[in-house]
Amino acid sequence: MNEAEEISSKQKQISISEFFEKNKHFLGFDTLPRAVITAVKESVDNSLDACEEARILPDIRVEIRRTKGDELELITQDNGPGIPRDAIENVFGKFLLGSRFHAIRQTRGQQGIGITGVVMYSQLTTGSKTHVVSKIRSDSSAVYVDLGVDTKKNKAIKSGEKRDIWIDERTGDEVSHGLRIRTQMKAKYQRGKKSVFQYLRMTSIVNPHASISLVVLDREGSVIEEGDWVRTSNKLPRVVEEIKPHPHGIQLGTLQRMLREANDRKMTSFLKHNFSGVSPRAAKEILAMAEVEEGRTPKRIKAEEAKTMITAFQTVKLLKPPMDCLSPIEDLLIKKGLSKAIDSRFASTVTRSPSVSQGNPFQIEVGLVFGGDLTSDGPIEILRFANRVPLMYQQGGCLLTKSLEAVNWKNYGLEQPGGAGIPKGPAAILIHLASTNVQFTSEAKEAVSYNEEVFEEIRKAMLEVGRGLKNHLKKDSQRKKAKEKFELVNIILPEISKKSSELLGREEPDLAPVITQIMNAVFLEEVLSWDKERRLSMCSITIHNYTARARAYTILAKWPESNGTSMEYNPKGGRKEARGLWAWRLDTLDPGTSTVLEFGISGLSKGDWNEADIFFRGNGEIIGATKMDEALLEEQRKTEALEAAVEEVRAKEGTPVRADMGSQVFSDVDVDEPRDPMIADMAPSADTDWFGMEGDEQ
Amino acid sequence: MSESTRKSREQVVDSLHQVAAEMHNRMQRGEPPRMTLPVRSKSNISFDNRLGVFKYGKSKTVRDATKLGSARQLLRTLHITEFIEEMIDSGKSSTLREMYYISEGWGNGKFGSQNESNNLAEDLEIVTKCLREDFKLRPEEDGARIIGNITVEERNRRGEWMTINCRDDVGDSGYGVPYNVEEEKLKLVDEDIDFVMAIETGGMFDRLIENGFDEEARCALIHLKGQPARSTRRIMRRISDEWKKPIVVFTDCDPWSFRIFASIAYGAIKTAHISEYLATKEATYLGITADDILAYDLPSDDLSKQDTGALEAELSDPRFNTGWWQEQIKLMQEMGKKAEQQSLAKYGLDFVTDTYLPEKLDGIGLGY
Repeated sequence: MNEAEEISSKQKQISISEFFEKNKHFLGFDTLPRAVITAVKESVDNSLDACEEARILPDIRVEIRRTKGDELELITQDNGPGIPRDAIENVFGKFLLGSRFHAIRQTRGQQGIGITGVVMYSQLTTGSKTHVVSKIRSDSSAVYVDLGVDTKKNKAIKSGEKRDIWIDERTGDEVSHGLRIRTQMKAKYQRGKKSVFQYLRMTSIVNPHASISLVVLDREGSVIEEGDWVRTSNKLPRVVEEIKPHPHGIQLGTLQRMLREANDRKMTSFLKHNFSGVSPRAAKEILAMAEVEEGRTPKRIKAEEAKTMITAFQTVKLLKPPMDCLSPIEDLLIKKGLSKAIDSRFASTVTRSPSVSQGNPFQIEVGLVFGGDLTSDGPIEILRFANRVPLMYQQGGCLLTKSLEAVNWKNYGLEQPGGAGIPKGPAAILIHLASTNVQFTSEAKEAVSYNEEVFEEIRKAMLEVGRGLKNHLKKDSQRKKAKEKFELVNIILPEISKKSSELLGREEPDLAPVITQIMNAVFLEEVLSWDKERRLSMCSITIHNYTARARAYTILAKWPESNGTSMEYNPKGGRKEARGLWAWRLDTLDPGTSTVLEFGISGLSKGDWNEADIFFRGNGEIIGATKMDEALLEEQRKTEALEAAVEEVRAKEGTPVRADMGSQVFSDVDVDEPRDPMIADMAPSADTDWFGMEGDEQ
Repeated sequence: MSESTRKSREQVVDSLHQVAAEMHNRMQRGEPPRMTLPVRSKSNISFDNRLGVFKYGKSKTVRDATKLGSARQLLRTLHITEFIEEMIDSGKSSTLREMYYISEGWGNGKFGSQNESNNLAEDLEIVTKCLREDFKLRPEEDGARIIGNITVEERNRRGEWMTINCRDDVGDSGYGVPYNVEEEKLKLVDEDIDFVMAIETGGMFDRLIENGFDEEARCALIHLKGQPARSTRRIMRRISDEWKKPIVVFTDCDPWSFRIFASIAYGAIKTAHISEYLATKEATYLGITADDILAYDLPSDDLSKQDTGALEAELSDPRFNTGWWQEQIKLMQEMGKKAEQQSLAKYGLDFVTDTYLPEKLDGIGLGY
C-alpha cells in the first residue's frame, strides 16, 4: 500500500468510524450497557427471522462472559438454516444496506442496523475479528471463518477460513445446521429493566415457539445471571407474504423512483403490477383523474404529473391491501408466552382484526395478566413490541404507552392515581403492533410515533382485555362469596344444629328451610378441567336453586371457537347462539335442587382454556353468572352476518377468500350502526328463532 | 358482690342453655339461628341512676348465621357452653388462654385469636348475666399490688386461710391481688388508714414507697399496672363499700389515663354489664390534671395524633359528660400537651411527697 492509498484508506476509516460515532445513539451503541443489548438483539432477531423462513423451531443460546475491564465476549448460537459459505461475506458485510429495504412485509430485521454493526463495533472497540461458524444442512462440514469489516470498501474481510465437523459444546452432538457467532466488544453487562435478560424474556413472550437461554459469567467464570425460556408452542408463525406498496401510503419521491425504475411500457400496467389494491378499473380512474394518458411510458412521467397522481391516489376508491403480509402472534399463543415468563392467575388476550393506515396494513394485539406473583404496590409492567421485537427504551414517549394511559383503568379494576396515566396493581400488559411500516419517533426505533388509527385500535383492544379483567375480578369476588355461603350451610350450620341439639337434648331440626333462607339465591359454579384420555377441555357447570321458588333459565357459555376447535362432547345439546357462544335451555329447577351441565371441547391442549364466561337468561340473579347483554349479543350477530356476507360476495366474484379486510364497498359500512337495513337483511335466517327465545322465559 | 348475687350451678347451666335454645328454636321455625346481644360501644352506655354507674343501654345487635363469620361465632359459643358445662361438672377451672388452646380441638369451632375467645366469653357473661367466675374461667393477667396498713385473709391453694398485713408481711413489691377477690377467696379483716391511693405507673408507686408516703399520709397504695384488671377494680370497690374509705386516683395527664380513671369510677365500656360490681363511684381523680401542667409548670410532651383522636372521642363519651371533665379535656386540646406523673421530679425526688400530693389532697379535704 502506498502512502496515498494509506491516507485515503485512513480517511475512509475515519469517516466510517465517525459515522459510527455520530450515529451510535440510533445504532444502539451509545452506552456500554446498551451496546451488548443491541448486539444480542441483532443476532437473536436474525436467528428468529432465519428460523421462521426455514420453518425451523428455534433453539437460541446466548452466552456473555466478561473478559477484562470494560470488555466482554458474546456468543450466540442458533439451530437455524445456517448461511451458505458464499453468502457469509454479504450477510456480515453489507453495512447499512439491509436486504429488506424494498420488501414490504412484517419482519424483525427491519428495525436494526444488522449484524454488520456488531462486527463493526467489535472491530472499532477491541480491534478483534468476529468468529463465525456456519453449517447448512446440504454441506457435510461447517465453515469456520473470522470476519472483519474493510472500512474502505465497506465490505467484510474473511480470514482463517476452514472447514470442519461442528460438534456442539454442550450436547456433544454433531450440529447439522445452525450459526454461531463469537465476538469481543467494549460493553458492560447490567441487570434490571434494561438488560439482555429482560430483552430475551420479552422476546420469548412474543415468540412462544422459540426456546431461548442465557448465561452471563463474570471474569472468574461464575454465573451472574441466567435465564431459560422453553418453548410453549410448536406452532411456527405464519409465513408472511411480501406485498406491493399501497397507493395510500406512497410519497412523491417514492413514486418518482418507482416510475424511473419501472420496466412497464404502459401506465395502466405500471399501476396494476407495482401496487396492491389497484384494480384495472381503478388504474384507469386514477389516470383519468390525473390527466395522464393510459399508454404513456412510466419513465417519461414528469414530476408535475406524478404530483397529480398522488392526489388521485387519495381520491379514487381502492381495495385495501391484503393482510397476509402480517404475522400476528394470536391470542392463545400470547397467553402461552405470557404464562411462560410471568406467573399470574388470570390472562386476557385479544388479537384485533387487521386494519389499514395510510396504505399500511397493521394489527394490534394486547394481553393482560393479573395476580399471582405480580407485585401490587407499583405501576404495572408494560411490555411493548413492534413486529415481535421488544421495545425497551423511551416508554413514556411511545404511542403504545400513551394509548394505554388514555384508558380509564379504574372502570376495569386497576388503580389509576389521578384518573390517568399508567395504572397500578398486580398486572402486566403486553402490546404488540404488527405492521409493514412501523413509524418510530426517531431513528433509535424505540418509541412508536403518533397515529390516530393505531391509537384507536390499541384503545379498543385495551377496553376488551379490561372487560375481561373486570369480569374476572367480579367473578372472583362472587366465587369467594359463594364459597363462604356453601361453607356456612354445608359445614357450620349442621354443626350448630348438632351441637345445640346435643346440649339441649333435643331432636335436630330440619335444616332445608333454614338453608333456603340463608342462601336465598341461585348459585352457579363452573369447573374447567382437562380430560386426558379424550383430550378434551371439559367444562362442568353446576347450578343450585337455593330459593323458595322454581326457576327456569337458559345458560350460555363462551368457548374458544375457531377452525381447530369443536364442541365434541355435549350431551345436553343446546345450540350455537353466536360465534363462540353456546346456549342450553334448562329444565325447571325446583327449590333446593341442583343440576349439572357438562361439555367438552376438542382441539385445545391442556391449560389452554382456564377461564369460562357464563351468562344466563331468565328472572332473578344467578350468583356466579352474568345476565346476558342482549344488545351486545345482537351487535355481535350482525358483525358476523356482515362478515359472512362479505365472504359470499367474494366467492361470487371469484376472488380467493383471504384473511384480509374485504372490499372497500363493505368496509365503508359502519358496524357500530347495526340499523343499516342492508345488514339486517343479511342475518342468516336459520338463527332467527333464537331471537324469540327470551319470550319463553317470561 | 355478696354470695346471694352469685348463681347456683343449675342456674348457670340453665342460663347457658337459654342461649343454645334461642338458636335451636329459630332453626325449628326454619329461620337462621341467632344470638341477641347489647351493642358494646360508647354509643350504648348510659348512667344508671339507681346504681350510680354506667351500664349498657337498650341497643341490641343480632348475630345470626347469614354470614360465615357470625355463623362461626355462634358455633364457637356453643362449644364454649359445652366446655363450661364440662368444667362445672368436673369441678375444674381454666384460664381464658387455656380455653383458647383447648379450642384447637374444636374443628370448625376453633378460635381465630385469643382476643376472640375473650370477647365471646364476655358475650356469654352479658347474655346470661353470669360472671366469668361462674363459668370457671380465669383471666391470665394478675391483679394489682398493694402496700399499706391493711390486713386481709386469703385462702391459699391448700384451702387454708392465711392472714396477711399488707405493710408488715410483704416485701417491697407489696401484696399481690389474686384474680378472684370474692368473699370465698379473700376477706378484708382490718385497717388503719385514712384513704386508698391508686397509682398508674410502677415508677411512681415505688417512689412513694421509698419516700414512706403510705405511713406518713396513712394510706394504702395500689399499683394499677396500666388499665386495671377486673380484680383490681373489684377490690377497690370492696374497700370502698366495706371500710368506707375514700379512693383517690393518681395518674399521668393524658387521654389514656383519663380512661383508666373512668373505668374505675364510672365503669368500663367492655364490662358495662357488671359495672355495679366493678366500678367505685366514690373514686376521685387527684391528678395530674391539665391545670397542674400549668400551675406547677411541668415538663410536657406534644400530643400525638392518636392522643388527639382519643381526646376527641372522650368529648362525646357519656362518662366524661361533666363540666369538670369537658373543661379539662378542652384545656388539654388547647395546650396540645400531656405530662407524665414522673415529670414532678423536675423539682426533686421529694417534691411529689412533700409538696404536690399534700397540696392536692388538701384540696379535696384529705389533708394530713
